[in-house]
Amino acid sequence: MAVTLLLVLLALLGAPLFTLIAASALLGFQRSDISLTAVPIEIFGIAEMPILLAIPLFTFAGYLLSESQAPARLVRLSEALLGWLPGGLAIIALVTCALFTALTGASGVTIIALGALLYPALAQAGYPERFNLGLVTASGSLGLLFAPSLPLILYGVVAEVSIDQLFLAGLLPGLLMLVILSAYCLWVSRGQPVRREPASARSIVAALRESAWEIPLPFIVLGGIYSGYFAVSEAAAVTAVYVLVVEVLVRREITLRQLPVIMRESMVLVGGILLILGVSLASTNYLIDAEVPQRLLGFVTEHVGTRTTFLLVLLLFLLLVGAILDIFSALVLVVPLILPVAAAFGVDPVHLGIVFLATMQLGYLTPPVGLNLFIASYRFGQSIVRVYLATFPFLLMLLLAVLVIAFVPSLSLWLVR
Amino acid sequence: MAQAPAADRPLLLARAERAGWWLETGILAALLATLILLAAGQILLRNLYGTGLPWADEALRLLVLWTALFGAVAASREDRHIRIDVLSRFLPPRLRAGVALLLDLFTSAVSGVLAWYSLDFVLDSHRFADTVLNGLPAWAFQAVLPLCFALIAWRYLVWALRRLLQLQQRAGVEVQP
Repeated sequence: MAVTLLLVLLALLGAPLFTLIAASALLGFQRSDISLTAVPIEIFGIAEMPILLAIPLFTFAGYLLSESQAPARLVRLSEALLGWLPGGLAIIALVTCALFTALTGASGVTIIALGALLYPALAQAGYPERFNLGLVTASGSLGLLFAPSLPLILYGVVAEVSIDQLFLAGLLPGLLMLVILSAYCLWVSRGQPVRREPASARSIVAALRESAWEIPLPFIVLGGIYSGYFAVSEAAAVTAVYVLVVEVLVRREITLRQLPVIMRESMVLVGGILLILGVSLASTNYLIDAEVPQRLLGFVTEHVGTRTTFLLVLLLFLLLVGAILDIFSALVLVVPLILPVAAAFGVDPVHLGIVFLATMQLGYLTPPVGLNLFIASYRFGQSIVRVYLATFPFLLMLLLAVLVIAFVPSLSLWLVR
Repeated sequence: MAQAPAADRPLLLARAERAGWWLETGILAALLATLILLAAGQILLRNLYGTGLPWADEALRLLVLWTALFGAVAASREDRHIRIDVLSRFLPPRLRAGVALLLDLFTSAVSGVLAWYSLDFVLDSHRFADTVLNGLPAWAFQAVLPLCFALIAWRYLVWALRRLLQLQQRAGVEVQP
């Protein structure tokens, strides 16, 4: 007990999470008289999961895209297509961020790559400053539920659920979030003297031509996966090669000298995530040996009666987890524990995954450790409190979406069945 | 975007630091490039000839492990591992520096223990002559575990020393009038 408290304190003080998970696994095995070589053996398990191949490939492709001029082109393209709508630019911000986050894996890259373009553009078009700040911050994790986002893949790995099914399941809930936020943006910008761009065939053609190399990308990735032509890791490989060829060889926006640095940057993130996955394989194994999931299941079924109360308790719990843990650590630590409990209440593991990720998305926007809050505060030079207050209405809208996603399972499961 | 470390330290140290940074970057780039080429090559072979290299899938999985571990080593150089960090922001600067020192030592110690038992694991594998990829010795591929954890332990020892020096310097400044 004392040791657990010490580890929690170290965690709160900012020790790297992998050391804490590793330490608790080492101590657990030690107490059960199991040889501590069990821990590296579990970490080596990373080399026994074929699907993990998708993670470095998609991450690299996302970093490469965000370092090129692709984000600017994406904004111009959606401006040409959607700029005539009332609240057009706000909706553009939502759509482009969602697309970009799906491709870059929800690592905060979106705010850095797109926020810097959208934030001044929104101000220039006449949107209120506070609204812009909230919008850009909240959009930074919007595409989490769309394929091929890293958290979706990682959930599939941890929960042993088909990733193809998860990709389908995330579609409608992700769209719901987009629609609710768009409606909110429309409502806020009603009566505001906001500039609108009239649609013109000429500007649309010009924007399409400018983005001609990037437009096939979502079709290759999503079309390939959904049609069953590519496995997920194959789609990742094709994406990486395609982006590499287009941005480095064709467009030459990334020089060969920059390439190793971008590779390093993206692999720093991958290393951080997979290391946590590796040590958590060991700690989960120990927890299962110690029958922790069963005891948790017994405790919950004893105190929680119906599926509805279970879902409510789960949401509260996940909101709490999301406020302290980043999405990747939460995935590998919490999912193995709640999976059997959810199954006992008849919650489909695919639906659970979507609920889990949708709730975690709110964690990006809640203090004390919401990643987007910090990135936005740093990037736009605003105080954390100000960013938080500006983001709060968007947080409420997303919470509404999460409630719908949790209590209407068919939204997630309709496309899967 | 990270850059190679600037030469603001004594010349020799700074050079070693830059060399280490480029070595890491080079290894990571080589691993990732191999990963991309091999994965793409498999798809080409499958679509053109309806076949693939029989060892490629296992090689790819091993490459992912290697890339991840070297990525973790690179993250350690920049102290960019995933962490929670809610309390330290509220600590006074001097205490915060002390806590950072403590955490570096802790991280180094845990990584050291992981390196030690990884070595055990690799030696066992050597003893039992485990194989991967159609008969290649498994220990050679598993050796990346002790190597990388030892490097992470070393990296955080360096961090600890650096912070200790900072603490001393700051104390020195405060004492001198």
